[in-house]
Amino acid sequence: MNTLVAQRKRNALGTIGRNWVLVFLVLEFGYFAILTRGFASLHIVQMILFYGTEVFLLATAELFVIITGGIDLSVGYVLGFATVISSKLMVVFASRGLSPLGAIVTSIVITLCIGLIPGFVNGVLVAKLRVPPFIATFSMLGVCQGVSELLMQGIPAKNLPPLAGTIGNGHFLYIVPGSGISLLQRPDVARGVRVIEIIPNAVVFALVFIAIFAFILTKTRFGQHIYAIGGNIDAASRAGIDVKKHIVTVYMISSFFASLAGIIYVMKYITGKADAGAASLLDAIAAVVIGGASMFGGSGTVWRTIVGCLVIATLETGLRMRGTPTFDKYILVGVILIFTVVIERFFPDFKR
Amino acid sequence: MPRPHVQHDTDTPFVQSRTGKLLGRHWALFFLLGMMAIFAFTGPGFFEIVNFQNIIHLATISILLAVAETFVIITGGIDLSVGFVMGLSSTLAARVMVILGSTGIGEPALIALGALAGLLVAFIPGFISGTLVARFKVPPFIATLGMWGICNGITLHLCDGFLPIAGLPSVLPRLGNGYLFYIHKGQSFTLFRKPDYIPDERVRELIRLVPFSFILIAAVVLVFWYILHKSRFGQHTYAIGGNIDAAIRAGIDVDRHLIKIYMLSAFLAGLAGVFNVFQTGIGNYTTFSSMYELFAVAAVVIGGASLLGGKGRIVGSMVGVLVLAVLKNGLAISGVQPFVRYIAVGVLLTFAVIIDQLFPDLF
Repeated sequence: MNTLVAQRKRNALGTIGRNWVLVFLVLEFGYFAILTRGFASLHIVQMILFYGTEVFLLATAELFVIITGGIDLSVGYVLGFATVISSKLMVVFASRGLSPLGAIVTSIVITLCIGLIPGFVNGVLVAKLRVPPFIATFSMLGVCQGVSELLMQGIPAKNLPPLAGTIGNGHFLYIVPGSGISLLQRPDVARGVRVIEIIPNAVVFALVFIAIFAFILTKTRFGQHIYAIGGNIDAASRAGIDVKKHIVTVYMISSFFASLAGIIYVMKYITGKADAGAASLLDAIAAVVIGGASMFGGSGTVWRTIVGCLVIATLETGLRMRGTPTFDKYILVGVILIFTVVIERFFPDFKR
Repeated sequence: MPRPHVQHDTDTPFVQSRTGKLLGRHWALFFLLGMMAIFAFTGPGFFEIVNFQNIIHLATISILLAVAETFVIITGGIDLSVGFVMGLSSTLAARVMVILGSTGIGEPALIALGALAGLLVAFIPGFISGTLVARFKVPPFIATLGMWGICNGITLHLCDGFLPIAGLPSVLPRLGNGYLFYIHKGQSFTLFRKPDYIPDERVRELIRLVPFSFILIAAVVLVFWYILHKSRFGQHTYAIGGNIDAAIRAGIDVDRHLIKIYMLSAFLAGLAGVFNVFQTGIGNYTTFSSMYELFAVAAVVIGGASLLGGKGRIVGSMVGVLVLAVLKNGLAISGVQPFVRYIAVGVLLTFAVIIDQLFPDLF
């Protein structure tokens, strides 16, 4: 009887332990909502999502690699590389007489293809040449930075098609209270009429890809194999999994997501520069760790990673609205990061 | 009739031959020398004593951080916080000097107290990282990444946002960039400071030899070389990195030792920060794109250490720093675009590790 109670208590504690990040996010949001007027509003929530989009994508990229027990330091500069390539291409295509939409779509497709290259090289270095992921991806960081700076020559791309900004800063759904709704297109209304904007396009775009890869990770054999590799690489290899091929694919997924983030950056800010993602690397890794993944591989889920991202994004927006210096964010992210790992030791069934 | 022993001899692959092993063990050194030979042709003024002095003087911070990282990496850990601990020390030392400056205290006392504050503060992040790694079993990567953020935030508080701290005694940069010997050809020879009759604008006419930073570097490298290679502390460091369970069973207090290692690493980062104040004359925060910690790790790995621990040498790390520093300087002097350097460093680093894989049992 006692053991049953103990077991139940243990299970309950385990559930909290596994999901404490979610609890933390709710508490954090509540804290800012109480202290800051106007924080708990649709507008602010959408703002948190909008400014967090790149980190969502980078963290998802990082998650795949971290599940295999690796690390990808290059994501920030692959993002920068993608912003430079796609912004340059958009300008070139638009000036060659392609329609704005045609120029944008073509550039995106080409950028996503080129964006696979850094990941492929990383993967081959790690899987085939047994270079430690830390070194391989740091080298790739340098190469991406150098190549993007060389392409850019110190001048960020100008004269991008204005349509890019319209898409990147637009919303998925517009509701004019009393007169109807409109998809993607901002309705023409008289000045002063309230339009409710729902979900920025950038967020929709990012979440679609994140959802697809979350599905791949949890529901497909490929996803299971990735966890197996991270859990025990020798066992995975003996079980007949082509470990090398999987690792190469994972690094390619990582740089694919980083390139997506780069494209979104270009659409949002209508510019491209080599160091666009330099400061996001810490956020991305921190989000994955706060989301409960182990740096030694074998664990981590997409949705918890996104919760980890939201913890950081809410913190940033909340601090900014309260008027505290934004660099307090770094201190708090550092503290939460360490706290996450320490606290999980006090819960049963922790794996890290 | 098979003759296995002879067969074996002729079939020895290059990597196991004597020349191969020699090349493999010291490839970074050979690479450094080869690079210098090439730059001697491509870069005007590269192969001059003044330039070599410059390379090493400008690499002082990298050398200090690489020594720090060598110890941590040998234990199988990593310290990502060194760059930002350095920023913290640099800004705190500068801040203390500015505050004390308004109290009317004498300049030497003010500089000494500021420098001391910068050195001492570094122990705090080191102690915390070490405790987290040793006692709370937080992976070093995460513990020091957290410390990276915390130090960065505190540093930015110290400099009120993104403003370097100025208004320090003007003697600082003269000390940090001073030389032991000043020779004015055929006219004068002075020690420690330039002759007074030469104004600052004409300082290039002087032959300046042995920067003060050399003395700092020599002292640090010698002391920590001794600690790592000749003392019991160093042996324990290798033991922990080689096999932590064996080290525990051999009676080494691993937890305490790891805390000391992270404090040592942070102390060297603090020293780099204080030196930074002397070199630039202002308190600098560390920018995101500077990536001191990653370059320090890169230098240590080029110098033959393994991220898995148990391997690495101080001299090797020095060669690693010099490879990166000479590459930077040589490419710049040869007129190559600065961005190519990033690519070159990346390629070189990967190359280093692949070579290391080819010669698995050398180091």
